[in-house]
Formats: sequence, C-alpha cells, structure tokens
Amino acid sequence: MRMRLKLKTVFVLYFTVSLLGLIYALMQLGQRCDCRGHDMSKDQQISQLRGELQKLQEHIKTSELAKKTDVPRIYVITPTYARLVQKAELTRLSHTFLHVPHLHWIMVEDAPQPTLLVTDFLAASGLTYTHLHQLTPKDRKLQEGDPSWLKPRGAEQRNEGLRWLREMGAAAEGKEAAALEEAVVYFADDDNTYSLQLFEEMRYTYRVSVWPVGLVGGMKFERPVVEDGKVVRFHTGWRPNRPFPMDMAGFAVSLRFILTTPQARFDGDAQMGFLESSFLQHLVTMDDLEPKADLCTKVLVWHTRTEKPKMKREDALQKQGLGSDPDVEV
Amino acid sequence: MPKRRDILAIVLIVLPWTLLITVWHQSAIAPLLAIRKDDGTETRHETGPATDSKEYCSQDKDIVEVVRTEYVYTRPPPWSDVLPTIHVITPTYSRPVQKAELTRLANTFLHVPNLHWILVEDSQRRTPLVTRLLRETGLNYTHLNVETPRNYKLRGDTRDPRIPRGTMQRNLALRWLRETFNSNSSQTGIVYFADDDNTYSLELFEEMRSTRKVSVWPVAFVGGLRYESPKVNAAGKVYGWKTVFDPHRPFAIDMAGFAINLRLILFKPQAYFKLRGVKGGYQESSLLRELVTLSDLEPKAANCTKILVWHTRTEKPVLVNEGKKGFTDPNVEI
Repeated sequence: MRMRLKLKTVFVLYFTVSLLGLIYALMQLGQRCDCRGHDMSKDQQISQLRGELQKLQEHIKTSELAKKTDVPRIYVITPTYARLVQKAELTRLSHTFLHVPHLHWIMVEDAPQPTLLVTDFLAASGLTYTHLHQLTPKDRKLQEGDPSWLKPRGAEQRNEGLRWLREMGAAAEGKEAAALEEAVVYFADDDNTYSLQLFEEMRYTYRVSVWPVGLVGGMKFERPVVEDGKVVRFHTGWRPNRPFPMDMAGFAVSLRFILTTPQARFDGDAQMGFLESSFLQHLVTMDDLEPKADLCTKVLVWHTRTEKPKMKREDALQKQGLGSDPDVEV
Repeated sequence: MPKRRDILAIVLIVLPWTLLITVWHQSAIAPLLAIRKDDGTETRHETGPATDSKEYCSQDKDIVEVVRTEYVYTRPPPWSDVLPTIHVITPTYSRPVQKAELTRLANTFLHVPNLHWILVEDSQRRTPLVTRLLRETGLNYTHLNVETPRNYKLRGDTRDPRIPRGTMQRNLALRWLRETFNSNSSQTGIVYFADDDNTYSLELFEEMRSTRKVSVWPVAFVGGLRYESPKVNAAGKVYGWKTVFDPHRPFAIDMAGFAINLRLILFKPQAYFKLRGVKGGYQESSLLRELVTLSDLEPKAANCTKILVWHTRTEKPVLVNEGKKGFTDPNVEI
C-alpha cells in the first residue's frame, strides 16, 4: 500500500513537471520571432559592408582624381549678367562643374566692373576660375521688352574670354604651355543644363567637336547628321542653310586651334542665329568637324531657359517703400 | 496482459515528452528557414502577405508598385554612420524638360552626404527614362510612382491653384517612409520636399540636418516677391510670416521652405497633405498643422536672413518646328 502511494505522488509530480515544461516551451515559441533579429543583423552587416566598400572606392577615386590633372583641361566660358535668377543659375551650374575633373571656369560678366555677388560666389564655389567683365555697348544691348532673339547676346563677353585665353597662351611656358596644347574651350551659357558625360565627350577634341543639343531651334533637339564618321549636314528646323546651324552649346574648340587662329571671334553684329557661324567659319569646314556623343545620336546638353520670376507684389511693395530687404542677397 | 491502468500510465508519461520534443524541433528549424528565405531575395519586393505560416515574422504590406531602395554607392560622398539621412521627396512628371531637370538636380544631390532621393513619378508605370537616369547617377534612391487621376490633373499649362500638383506623389512617399521605418528604430532622418525645377544650395542641406521637429527658412521667388520668409523674433522663435499673399495662413511657407524630422512623420502616421478642398497656398499648412505649432518651428539660415533655396521655374520649350508629325527621331531620348 505504501508503495502505491509513493508511486502516485511520483506520478503526479512527474506529470506536473512535464506540464510546466510544456507550458514553458510554448511561451518560448511565442517569442520565437527573433528570426527577425536574424534578418536585421544580416541587413545591417550587408549595409555596413557596402558602406565600407564605398569608402574604399571613394578613396581610390580621390587618389585617382588627384592624379587626373594629366587629362586635358576644359576651359568653360560663361557670359553672365545681373538679374534675379543669376545667383540661382550660377549655383546649380557650379554643382555640375564641381564634378568635372580639371575644369577651369571663365566667368565674364556683362558689367562695367566685377559685381560683389559674382565675386563672392566664385570665391565660395570651390572651383578653379577666372573672373572677367566686359560691358555690352548700349546699341547692342537688349532693351526691356525686346524678345530674346532680337540681338545676339554674350558676343562681347565670349570674345573677352577668348582674349584672356590668348593672352595667357602667349605668356605660358614649359609645362603650362604643354598643358594648353591639349586643352579644350567650351561656351556654356548659365541657364543651360549639362550632363557630366558631355564634358568627357568634349575633352579630347583635335579641332572642333560637335554633338546634339536638346530643346533648341523649336525642336526636341538639333543635331549634326553623321555618315561614315563625318558630319554631312545638320538636322535643324530653322534656317538650315546657315554655315553652322548649331547652338553655342553644341560644340567645343581645342585651345591650340584658338591660339593659332587669332582672327576667330564672335561677330556682335551678326544676324540672328548666325553668331555661332561667325565664329566657327574662321576655324573649320563641316568636313573637319569631329562628331561626339555616339556619332551625334545622344542628347547630353539641353538648352533650358528659366522663367523670369513674377515680381508683381514686390513691385507694389517697393512703390510703398516696403520692399523686401535689399541687403538680403537673392 | 497489460492492464488498462498501465497503458494509461504509459501514455501519460510519454505524451508530454513527445509534445515537448516536437515543439522544440519545430522552433529550432524555423529560424533556419527564415534565414534561407532572406538569402534568396536581395532586393525585397513586397508582393502581398507572406505565404509561410509564421505570421509573426511576415510583413503584411500590400503595395505593389513599391521597389525597395537600392543602395548604390559609387559617386556620392561616403555614407556616414553619424549624419542623419536626408530623405528628399521629389514628385516628377513626363515633359520635354524632365530629363534635363532631373540631371541637374542629381548633379546637386551628388554633393550631399547621406542623401536618399525618393523620386515619385506621376505615371501609371515607372518610366524607363527615369529608371535609367536614377541608376546612372549612382545616388541612393527609391523609385516610386502613382498616377494622379484625370480630374485632379492640371490641364495643359494653366496653373490652377485649387488643384495642388504633386500631392498624391508626396503622400505616397510619406506612406513609403512610414512603412519602411519603424517608429521605434533609432534611425535618424530628415524629410524634405524638393520639386524638380527649384534650385538648392549645398548649404541648405546642412542647415536642415539638425532639424528636431520642423525647421523653416526663406525661399526666393515665391509669392510674387524676391523672397518669402518666416518672421523671427529676438528670442529666435517664429511668430509670423513675411509674405504678401495671405500671411494669415497657419503656415505661409512654400514646399521648399521647411523640413521635417522623420521621427515626427512616423509619430503622427495620420498626417498627410490634404488632397481635396485645399485653397491655393494652403497645401503646406494642410500637412504642417497636423505636425507642429508655430512655436515649435526652428528657424535656420541665420535666423531666416539668408537665401539658400530659389523657387526657379523652367520655361516650357517652344517646339513649333516639330510640327504635327514630329520632325525629330522619336527614339532619341531628351
């Protein structure tokens, strides 16, 4: 009898213990979802490794970029003039240029002297630059209300840029002169949009290289037509009989060529649309043009234009003497 | 001849142990299964509720258009573990200048460390143009799309202020953020709404990085003025708005003039831009009033005295020479 009692208690004890154990196991099950923890830590690891990989890649890139001063220099001539959107335009332009190795920005203001806005801007930009100025004579200047195409714009400023380049070219010696032999000159207006690839396309120009330009000439894009690797004609919707029916943004010239052709300059009196031709016809014939951008089939630059901001309320306030603080630079 | 009682006893002994063993067996296998599933999917696509029975681990998201972020670090600055991420939400739509706008915007963003670009197309499907562009920039991005229904879309070029453009796209991005980031996570982040035709200085992004709730600054070329700006008192608190157009709006500020801390977005999951019945100029208020009060605003840009962002607008290009049938090769992408 005693034996049986003992066995019963053993049983009961055993049963409760295993029941408790089972309940414990079930509780563990409920929290089992630290499989998510597995996911997260894996993701974290991957992300960390990627980050490290990118740091290393960046390190390689910067040490390569430092060596990259042996690529041909690109001189970008930008005429600019004071208006409300000027600082904005120059700001976003500089963001593009900062990515281009070995670029030298020649900014030419249409002003009697360098303005504070542009001076400060260039100093803070982080770019290599030259700050020039050349005032457009009154009779050539667009008046308020004139349509933008009435008179060619920027001719004097671009010529000033060319003058500075020629002056520098004449004075250069040794290594610097050798660097100039390979350099390229590009005319970049401050309201266009440039892809980074464009600058790599133009970098190796022997004489004059050309490519398509988007959103110009009343069309989605204008471009030289290439056959057998040579430019045979121009695809444009407006006055295709011009010697070079191209936009300013559609070509680049080797510096060597500019230095050896002192008569090549822009004609400020040229007819509408002939400004580019007035310059290029001193330099090349259509035969000599070097087509870039995949034989002129890719659009790498766009002739964007920025709207003039509406200042109705500002003007009204100014009349009352309550205009916005003029000390705040916009 | 085993007695019934003995059989019962044996069953009672064995049963709990078999149950225990099966339970442990399963719990040991399940984590291994979960890991293997993860290895198989590099970029995770939400395709509906998970089909496995482990409901606790599944994520019951059902957005089909979302594609996970691709962390492609090649050109932008190295990703820092310390800087808060700036999530830039940009609605965009197809038009001739789109590629140009996105190109120069990308050129700016490529200078900003820890930037995550959320580009939301107003389209039925993600377009190849934008897909390719994003991939080639090397930026850290997320590509979404949602089409604004026809009756909300602007007709032609007329700017009808009663129909806010980009609202559905911005809301989708907010929803994506809320579904991607857990409100308990320690991830720091700032949310900024950047339209694709504005101009942003690099300094702006560094100013907004220290946002605790909502920070504000002046914006040029809005409201018919050289710039609109918040009014800041001597104590450094915003007390009003220096605008001519309806300065009594709760938040008389342009979309480009403020940034929100990600935590606040996650903390208030109901806050979205109001889609219907929003008066012109009140779109920003429709979101901000659900997030902060005026006194919570943090003025940046030297107490709102510097211009770091310009509300530029790009002219619509004149395409007269394309004619009715199109003059240029339609295969060339612009």
